[in-house]
Formats: sequence, C-alpha cells, structure tokens
Amino acid sequence: MSSSNASYTLRYFDAIGLAESSRILLTAAGVEWTEEHPEWPQEKLNQPHGRLPVLVEKSTDGSPDFVICESSNVERYLARTYGFLPADLKQAALQEQLRDLISDVVSLFFTQVQCKNKEDKAEFQTKFEGLLETLINVQTKLLKDNGNTGRMFGDKLSYADIITYGLYIKLVVGFVKFNADIADNVKSKLTPEIVKLISTVETDPLVVKYKSRGGSLVAALSA
Amino acid sequence: MLSGSDTVYVLRYFDVIGRAEGCRLLLTAANASWTEEHPEWPAEKANQPFERLPVLVERSNGNEWILCESLTIERYLARVFGFMPTDLKQAALQEQMADQQADLLSAFFAQLTATGDMKPKQIDEFNTLFDRMVKEHGRILSRSSSKQHLFGDHLSYADISLYAFYKLFIVYLKCYQSDIAEIVKSKLTPKIINLILSIEKEPQLAPHFSKCDTMAAIFTAKDF
Repeated sequence: MSSSNASYTLRYFDAIGLAESSRILLTAAGVEWTEEHPEWPQEKLNQPHGRLPVLVEKSTDGSPDFVICESSNVERYLARTYGFLPADLKQAALQEQLRDLISDVVSLFFTQVQCKNKEDKAEFQTKFEGLLETLINVQTKLLKDNGNTGRMFGDKLSYADIITYGLYIKLVVGFVKFNADIADNVKSKLTPEIVKLISTVETDPLVVKYKSRGGSLVAALSA
Repeated sequence: MLSGSDTVYVLRYFDVIGRAEGCRLLLTAANASWTEEHPEWPAEKANQPFERLPVLVERSNGNEWILCESLTIERYLARVFGFMPTDLKQAALQEQMADQQADLLSAFFAQLTATGDMKPKQIDEFNTLFDRMVKEHGRILSRSSSKQHLFGDHLSYADISLYAFYKLFIVYLKCYQSDIAEIVKSKLTPKIINLILSIEKEPQLAPHFSKCDTMAAIFTAKDF
C-alpha cells in the first residue's frame, strides 16, 4: 500500500462524466486530493494522451510527479494502491471484468447519441439496451450470490461496488443532458439488488462524505 | 510464475484475429499449455458468463475458473506469467497503453459507421488520436534502454499489447475497411516499425508464427 502522505490532483471536466468512480475511490482511500478543470481544448496537448481524466500523484522528494490517464486505468491504480482491489490475481480479475463490460455499455450509449440517422440511432439504442441488460443480470447474480448485502464481493466496500455505482450515476444523472429518456429507461431496469448496492455505497462510512455534483443517486432513483 | 505446471487454458473466441490476439500472444509467450475453442455462434452465446467472447477457461487440479473481457484476460495472464511489472506505478504505465489502444479501436469503428456530417468529424478524431498515440509510443521508446522493447530489456505486456494492436490494424481490419492498413502504415515511424518487427522476432513468440504470417513482409524498404 502506498504511503498515506500521498496527495493527488484529478484533472477532468466539471462534470460527472467518466471521473465519478475515481472521485469516490480517492474519497474512500482517505487521501488528500483536489480537482482541476483544465481549460479545454487549450490544455489538450498538455495531457499524456490528449484526453481526460488524468491523475497526478504529487511527488514528495523532488522527482517528477507520477502522471497516469485513461479512466479505468486511474480507477484500477487507485483501487490496487488502497486495497479496494484484492491482491489475489483471480479475485481482482473477477472484479476488473465488470468494469470492461461497463466501458462497452458506455461506449454504445455514446455511439447512439452520436448517430444522426434514425435507423442507426435505433440500432445502437437496441445494442445499448441489450448489453445493459446483460450487465444488470451479471451484477444482480453477483449480488444475490453474495447474500444480497448490497456488496458484490466479501463484506467490505470494493472496487466492483464503486464502479457499479459510478456507472449508474452516469446513466441516471450524468448523461441525461445527452439523452433525456435514459434516466427513466435505466431506472426501470434496475433490480432491487442493484438499488441496494447503490444505497450501500452511498452510505458507506468511507464514501458518505463525498458529495457528487450530481447530488444523491439514491434520491434520483426515487424521484 | 504463478501457474502450476498442470494448469491448462482454453481460449474461447472466433477463428479470427479480432480482439483475442493479445491473449493468444501472451499464452504463447508464457509457454502455457493452451488450446483454442471456436464456439458455435450464436448458439453458444447464452453459455458464456457475459454472453460474449473471448472467454478464458483455466483448469487446474480438477477445478475450472472462467474469466471474460479481452483486456481483463490480458492483464490477468500478463500478471500470472510475469509480463506485467509488480510495481503498481510501472504496471499502470503499461495498462494505460492498452486502454488507449482500445479507444483507438472504438474510434476506428465510430468513423467507419458514421454517416452524414459526423463522418468527417469521426475520421478526423480517429486520425488525431492515432497520430497522438504513435507519438506517445515513440516517446516511450526513446526513453527505453532498449530499442527493441518499450520498457526495460525484456518482453513486457506493453510490447505484446502493442504488437497485437498493430497487427489488428495492419492485417485484420481491412475486412472492415480496405484502405486502413495503408493509412496506418503511413502513420508509423521507422522506429515504431523496427519495434514491431523486433517484438515479432522474440524467441518466446516463435510458436505463434508457426500458425500465421509475420508482418516482416508487409513493411518494405521504403517504409523504413
């Protein structure tokens, strides 16, 4: 585990977007962190891959700061460093595969948004909903198999719990500006087990002090 | 190595390069006992945990363990077989390259399927991202002690992932877009081409090329 003297800057837009899981992980890790909202696109070329989010781990010994990017990579790094991903390779991989599936669901959503013609839009909407349904089935089964405690693995807050919460705050709150119907569409598909996970994450002692710019997802689900 | 000598792997995928080449190369480089299965599709869809391929099946001591999602399978195999650094920072620097490559693949499909005024925008986005990525590969290579490897002087996950990525674009994706290989080749620097061909010559990867062609013949003298 990394030293608790570490401090971080998370560079992203002032939006939920792809950064919420990283924000929650930084909060749950109990480390010092701040957020920067770079001027965009002016700051594009100053980022390693020309994109956001970027995580800067500030150096304490005069060496260059450690900088990484790619949202899922930032999440995995924080999760491994602060113990939210297990050290056991198989156990970690079982959690990581969920995040890769989430990436594809989000990607299909954005493809649908970008389609201009009605047939393409409908085609990608169907693909998005189909993969989301697969994901919901996988998530629900894990939650049931773990005793429907609102946790996917074991009895503590895990990376899998956090990235699942991160997905749903995106779809129910963050992405509404791209597609007005998505919130109602997704809410109607959520199983009781997933709703319980959302509440368990939001009220976890490690997370409870985090206030999302999107507000409470629990509240958004009952709205 | 964290895998017992009685462990065998089955990689389930389609009989194409697709998204499984990194997994194939890792299993080969690891000298693991492995075979490939090409499930009837879509008949076998419902029998896969995420209804998708690839799937990795690991069998050991009578137990069976299953993992999904190509990038997770790659990272798992890379860790089991020692191609991923154990230092978390060094690992993250390699993993982000694979994530960037996955973004490029998405951008490729986005520009392929875009219509109307979105098409030129998506093509532009793809080209910008690709050029930026090639520059990043060049930057990492210039800081590497070896010009045949991205990090250190041994074959690493990053090398294998990079090779699989370029093979995907230069050998496979022409089935979707006939000119993509030439477009991508024209973006590569001589140093990157040299890296690709050096990785290909790694002794650990030799068994892979008993089943498919190397890319050496694709790059002629004028590409260097």
